[in-house]
Amino acid sequence: MGDTAYLLFDVFLDTISFWWVIIPTIFLGLIVGGIPGFSAANTIIILMPLTLAMGLDTGLIFMVTLYCAARMGAGIPAILVNIPGTAGAAATPLDGYPMARQGKGQQALAISFVSSCIGGLLTTIMALALMPVLARVGFYMHSVEMIVVMLFGISLIASIAAQDMVKGLIAGFLGLMIGSIGTDVVYATPRATFGFLELYDGVPLIPALVGLFAVSEAFVIIEKTVIVNESAEPKKPSWHDTFEGVNIALSRWWHIVWTSIIGLVIGVIPGAGASIASFVAYQQSRAFSDTPEKYGTGHPEGLIAPESANNGVTSGTLVPLLVLGIPGGATAAIMLVVMQYHGVSFGPSLFEHSPRVGYGMFMAMAVSYLLMIFTILPLSRYMSHVTTVPTIYLAPMIIAFTLVGAFVPREYMFDMYLALAFGVLGYIARRTGYHVAAILIGVILGPLLETYFLRSLKKSDGDIMVLFSSTLGNILWVALIVSLVLPIWFDMRRKRRREVPAE
Amino acid sequence: MSTKPRDGRRALGAELIIPVLAVVFTLYFFSSIWHSPWTAKVSAFMVGGILLLVCAIFFIRCALWIREGSGTLGFGTLFSRDDIATGRIGLFATTVGYCVLIGYLGFTLTTFLFLALSMIILAKGRNIGFITLISAVMALGGWAVFIWAFDTRFPRGWFETTMKAVLSNG
Repeated sequence: MGDTAYLLFDVFLDTISFWWVIIPTIFLGLIVGGIPGFSAANTIIILMPLTLAMGLDTGLIFMVTLYCAARMGAGIPAILVNIPGTAGAAATPLDGYPMARQGKGQQALAISFVSSCIGGLLTTIMALALMPVLARVGFYMHSVEMIVVMLFGISLIASIAAQDMVKGLIAGFLGLMIGSIGTDVVYATPRATFGFLELYDGVPLIPALVGLFAVSEAFVIIEKTVIVNESAEPKKPSWHDTFEGVNIALSRWWHIVWTSIIGLVIGVIPGAGASIASFVAYQQSRAFSDTPEKYGTGHPEGLIAPESANNGVTSGTLVPLLVLGIPGGATAAIMLVVMQYHGVSFGPSLFEHSPRVGYGMFMAMAVSYLLMIFTILPLSRYMSHVTTVPTIYLAPMIIAFTLVGAFVPREYMFDMYLALAFGVLGYIARRTGYHVAAILIGVILGPLLETYFLRSLKKSDGDIMVLFSSTLGNILWVALIVSLVLPIWFDMRRKRRREVPAE
Repeated sequence: MSTKPRDGRRALGAELIIPVLAVVFTLYFFSSIWHSPWTAKVSAFMVGGILLLVCAIFFIRCALWIREGSGTLGFGTLFSRDDIATGRIGLFATTVGYCVLIGYLGFTLTTFLFLALSMIILAKGRNIGFITLISAVMALGGWAVFIWAFDTRFPRGWFETTMKAVLSNG
């Protein structure tokens, strides 16, 4: 125990000495995370020759920092201009953007940064302490259990649709149908591809994200001079909003803790990701809130939940990678390749043969989050000015840089047209009262749900009762039902309490 | 966003576009999997069936609203004269042009043309000098960061090819 503590302290000091790598990488990560299509994974691939030329420590710290900073960077445009940089930040604008429109962009950014950093730091420490236990989570999560986890995320559609349930469900199920486009996972039969080979792999996520959020938003915001509502109070630039945001986030520390743990647990499961974690965390946060009616109107807790959760995923992803040698996501897979190039083999023997590398990755993550809070938080004051840029300049820039971002992942011109088509769909949806987030949840989670569902049915020879065949799965089913029913019960109780004094 | 036009009655014609698209798409989806193995069908029929049911509920609801006189089959919330006045139609035309031309002209030149043209449309012809400058800075900045510095896979045209040749020859 003493030796491990000494080793951890030594690795911590060693990692801090790499501040000259960490700080520039934080800013690079913020940029690539903020533009749809330029994820951390893509950037690490682009910069792979550079990473391979670096020493093992430097390369490792560079990749981990980029991963964390990109995750945080994706939330910035989500809050300021309603455009999530990655699918993991798709739940962030639900409450972040309404805050920005109310003139609280600076406060919202501060809340997002603090909850991301605390959530990331806390889950890193937890992952480090509970690694052997967490590594086993992946073994227990089979397709049946994953179906229930997906349903936790999909049930957010019902929460979003609270204002008009029928329209919300139409949007959500249309998203699920769109998400089913492409070949089926068992026999590769093409479905609803309109004859386009480019759709055989399914609907690519980035063009859908770009179209539904960025392009449609650009066409809507031109009605106003600036993003901030005219009714919002004009403010002189000051640090007050940043401190207020920090205060709001810190006063909800328990909210950060439990939503980031959701992220950590989901991050540990190979194949699950930040998008699922943030949807599940938002849904759970709303379900157990005393003020669920405030969600979607610029409620701080609706911003804290997805941001803490998607940063909790980053540390969770490292657990199966380091302990089992199974990458939990695309970025982790690239890290695996780079580290293997340097002669480091992942798996159970890592902490025996190269403990400094194993602990070093977690320490790099912890130090990155520590430095991020000091480097990024002051920027909130300046970043929030985006909301006061005239929309005649902002809208064309959003369209140009996000449409080309749709092209980057696959290099198909088709994807730019697809983003434009989703833009038209998103614009119609926004103008006619359908929620684009509900469509996107369907597009993201639909294919995953179908994959796990078919896998379960194949294993059981088509017996639907397989969905209730595992103990953990049944516990999760009960938890799902409880999380759906309890808010209704709480709501009824609240209404009854309000009625009693009135009588 | 409010779905009620100025006369207070809901413009249901606009609100029906997405359900109608959803029904058409679902039926097309079903037709594409009719002769496929069950694995391709099971999930789609389940989700599509629920979608058709929810759309049917919405259609019935709309029919009742129209009969009551609280809704019309108008498209007021979606299309209006404001679309021309705000430059939305012009912006849409330049966006389509951007998608078409970027494959031929490359990122930098197309981005410059798109930004300049769409900003001029939205600004109703004012500040042309400033708009040209800002468009040039953004397009060249994008080229410098994404193509020159990071060698990102952006669409390339003669500008990018020329600059690559110039820079590689010192």
